Amino acid sequence: MIRFVGRRLLHLLPVLLAVSLFTFLIASLLPGDLASTILGDQATPEKVAALRAQMGLDLPLWQRFLHWLWGVLHGDLGRSFRTGETVLSAVADRLPVSLELMVMAEGLGLLIGIPLAILCAVKQGSGVDRFLTGLAFGKLSLPPFMVAILLIYLFAVQLGWLPATGWVPFAEDPIGNLRSFVLPAVTLAFAEWPVLMRVLRSDMIATLQEDYIAMAKAKGLTPARILLVHALKPSSLTLVTVTGINIGRLIGGTLIVETIFALPGIGRLLVGAIYARDFIILQGVVLFVAAGFVIVNFIVDMLYAVLDPRIRHGRA
Amino acid sequence: MMKSMIRSAMIRSGVIRPGVIRSATLACAAVCMALAGPALAQKKGGTLTVGLELDIPGFDPLKVGVYDTSANVAAALIFDNLATLGDDGKAKPKLAESWTHSDDYKTWTFKLRPNVKFQDGTPFNAQAVAWNYARQKDPKNNCRCAFYVANFLSVEAKDDLTVVYNLKDPAVDLPALLTRPDQNSSMQSPTAVQAKGDDYNRNPVGTGPFMVKSWTAGDRMVLERNPNYWNKDAIKLDRIVLRPLPDSQSRFASLQSGETDVVWADEFEADNIAKARKDASKQVLVYAGSGAAVNAINTKVPPLDDVRVRQALVMALDRPLMSQAITNGLARPASNPYGDGSWVKCKDDGALPFDAVKAAALIKDYGKPVKFKMLFTATPRGRANGQVLQQLWKKIGVDMEIEQVDQATIPPRAFQRKFDITPWRIVDFPDPDVQMFANFYSKSPLNLANYTNPELDKLLEHARVTADEAKRIDDYCAVSRLINHEATWFWTFQNTYYAIAKAKVKGIPKMFGGIIDVSHAWLQ
Repeated sequence: MIRFVGRRLLHLLPVLLAVSLFTFLIASLLPGDLASTILGDQATPEKVAALRAQMGLDLPLWQRFLHWLWGVLHGDLGRSFRTGETVLSAVADRLPVSLELMVMAEGLGLLIGIPLAILCAVKQGSGVDRFLTGLAFGKLSLPPFMVAILLIYLFAVQLGWLPATGWVPFAEDPIGNLRSFVLPAVTLAFAEWPVLMRVLRSDMIATLQEDYIAMAKAKGLTPARILLVHALKPSSLTLVTVTGINIGRLIGGTLIVETIFALPGIGRLLVGAIYARDFIILQGVVLFVAAGFVIVNFIVDMLYAVLDPRIRHGRA
Repeated sequence: MMKSMIRSAMIRSGVIRPGVIRSATLACAAVCMALAGPALAQKKGGTLTVGLELDIPGFDPLKVGVYDTSANVAAALIFDNLATLGDDGKAKPKLAESWTHSDDYKTWTFKLRPNVKFQDGTPFNAQAVAWNYARQKDPKNNCRCAFYVANFLSVEAKDDLTVVYNLKDPAVDLPALLTRPDQNSSMQSPTAVQAKGDDYNRNPVGTGPFMVKSWTAGDRMVLERNPNYWNKDAIKLDRIVLRPLPDSQSRFASLQSGETDVVWADEFEADNIAKARKDASKQVLVYAGSGAAVNAINTKVPPLDDVRVRQALVMALDRPLMSQAITNGLARPASNPYGDGSWVKCKDDGALPFDAVKAAALIKDYGKPVKFKMLFTATPRGRANGQVLQQLWKKIGVDMEIEQVDQATIPPRAFQRKFDITPWRIVDFPDPDVQMFANFYSKSPLNLANYTNPELDKLLEHARVTADEAKRIDDYCAVSRLINHEATWFWTFQNTYYAIAKAKVKGIPKMFGGIIDVSHAWLQ
C-alpha cells in the first residue's frame, strides 16, 4: 500500500512540470505581452522593447521558464503586476469559493444521481427507468447558462427566496453563505446528476447479473441490503472516476456559473488574468488547478484500491 | 415638505403604491419647487448598492495604467479632482477654488481649497498635486498613464495653495480636462502611496467623500462616508457598496430582486431597458455622450486610396437599419464625431446621405474590383457588426472580408497602420481638442487614416488656441465637413450611456463619460 501511494505521488511531479511548461508556451503564443500591456496602446515600439529587455521578456522562452520555476521552487509564485496581489493571496481569496461550490454541486449531484441510478437499475426497462432516462437526456441538453437564468428568474426575481447574485463569506454569515450557493450549486448539479445516474445505472445492471447477487437473494437477504451493501460498492468504480474528473474540473472554477451568479471564484480570476495578459497570475493559478486535479485523481486511485481489493494487491 | 413626508409615510405603511402617486409627484414637483425650495427633503443616511460590469483591478496609476468605467465610478467616491463638471458641461471648482491662464493658454494657475485633508490625515496642498503628476510622468515608472499627461511639461507648487500647470501645447479649457475621475486627475495621498508600496493599489486614499472599508476581489467593495470630508453636508449616504456583476441578465435580475439599487447597462440590453421604462418602480438614466463609435479608413492602401470608393462605403451605410439589427434600434446614428452631449453643434456637418444607388454608381465609376479587409473584435458583437456592414457593402458591389482579432491587438495594429479599415472610438472628453487633434492632425501618431491635408491641420491648430466657443464650433464643424467629404473616417453610432435604478434613488448627475457618480446620491 505504501509503495502504491509512493508511486502515485511520484507521478505528480512530471505532470505538474508538463502542465506549467504547456501553460508557459500557450501564454507566450497570445498576442501582446506584459511590456505592451504595461505601456499601453500608445507606446512606441522602442519603448516597449526597452521595457521588455528590462523585465527579461526578451530572453528565450526556456530561460524565462527556468527563472519562473526557480522562483516557484523557492516558494515565490510572484505578484500580479496589475493588482499588486501575490499569486498566493489571489488564489487563497478565490479558492474557498470554488471549493465550496464544488462540494455543494457534486454532493447534490451524487445525492440525486445515486438513488435514481439504483432505482433505474432495479426497475430496468420499466416506465420509471424510461422516464428518468429521458429526463436525464433532456437535462443534459439544457445548457447551464439557461438553467441559471431560469432559476434566477423563478427563485430570485419572482419568489424572492434566494439572492440572484453574490456571495457572503461563511465566517460572516453562515446561513447567508449557504443561501448564496444554492442556485449556483443547483445549476451545476443539474448538469452532473444525469451523467452520474447513467454511469452508475449501467454498472449496477451488470453487477446485478453476477452470480453472487443471485446467491445473496437465495440466502434471503433484504433487497435493500443486497443493493446498498453488496451491489453498490463494486458498481461504483466508474462513478468514482467520473466524480473525480468532475471535481478536478470544478476546482478550476466554472466560468459561466461564476459569471452569471457573480461569484468570486477561480474561473473568473483565470479568465480575467488572460484578458489582462496578467501572466504571473495565470501561470500561478494554472499550477494550483493542475495540482488540485492531480491530487483528486490520486485520491480516486486510492479509492479504487479501497473499492476493489484486486487493484490493492496489484493483480489487476 | 410636509406633503412629501406624509406621502413617504403612506408608501412605507403600504397605503399607496409608489407608482400610483407618480403623476401627483410630477405635478407637485414644479409647484412645490417654486413654493418651498426643494420639494423633496434630501434624506440623510442609508446604503446604496451599485451593480457594475467589471471587477476593479485597483487605483495605483502605475499599476493599472488606465481606469475603466468601473474604476471611474469608485474613483468618483474615493478621490476628488481639482474641478468638476456642472450639468451644463462646464468646469466648476472642486479641490481648486479658482483658476487663471496665460494669454497663450500654455500656463494655468490654480488656487487650491484650504484646509482639505486626505483620508489618512495628510494635508492636501499644491505639493501633493505636483507630486501626483511627477510620479505619473517619471520615465522610470513606465506608466501607461503618462501618455494622457504628455502635454503637461510640468506641474509645480508655487506655494502651499497655488499650483501651476505648464503645457507644451495650448489648452483653452484645461479645467474641464481635469474633471474626469481617472488615473491622472484623481488626487491620491502621497503619504499613503509611499507607505503602502505594492499594497496601495488596493488600499487607495484620496480626499473624497467615501473611504474603502473592505474590498473582496471579484465580489464587492464597501465604502463608508468620510466623516472629515471638506463638504460633508452635501453627502447623504452612509455607505455605498460596489459589486462587479459581469452578466447583464443577472445584473438586471439583481436590481429586480432588490439586491442592488443602481445597475450599469448598455445599449445591447435593449430588452432590459425597455422593461425598466415600463416599470414605475424603476428609472432609466440616459446620457447622450460627446463622442462616437468611429472607423478609420487607411487612405494609403488601394482601393481605399480613392475618394470615390471611400465615399461609396459611407453612403452605403443605412445606420437606422444597423441600429435595429445590432441594438434593437437603441443605438443613435452619428453623422459627425461630436455626439449630442458635446457643445459642438453643427448646422451643417457635411454628412454624406445614405444613398445605395449613388454608392453603387461610384464603385462602378472606380472600375476595378473593390476588395479589402476590416478589423473587428473577436466577440459576438464584433461579428454582428461585421456581418451587417458586409451585407450593406455587398449590395453596392464591395467585397469586405471580416478579420476578427483579439481586442488587445487592435490598438497596436492601428498604431502601425496594419489595417484597411479599423474600428476606433472617440471617447467622451469634456473638450474635443484632445481627440480631434490626436486622430485628425497630419503629424499625430494616431492619424490612423494616414491622411494629410494642410487645411484640416490649420483648422485643428486654430481651434485649440481659440477661447471663443462660437469660433471653435465653426472650426470643428468645418473639420467634420472636410472629413465627411473626404470620407477618411466614418462614424456609426453616438456614445450613449445607460444606468437603471430604483425610482427612489435620487441625485445622480449626468453620466459624463458613462460614469455613474453616486457620491451625492440619496434615497427618497
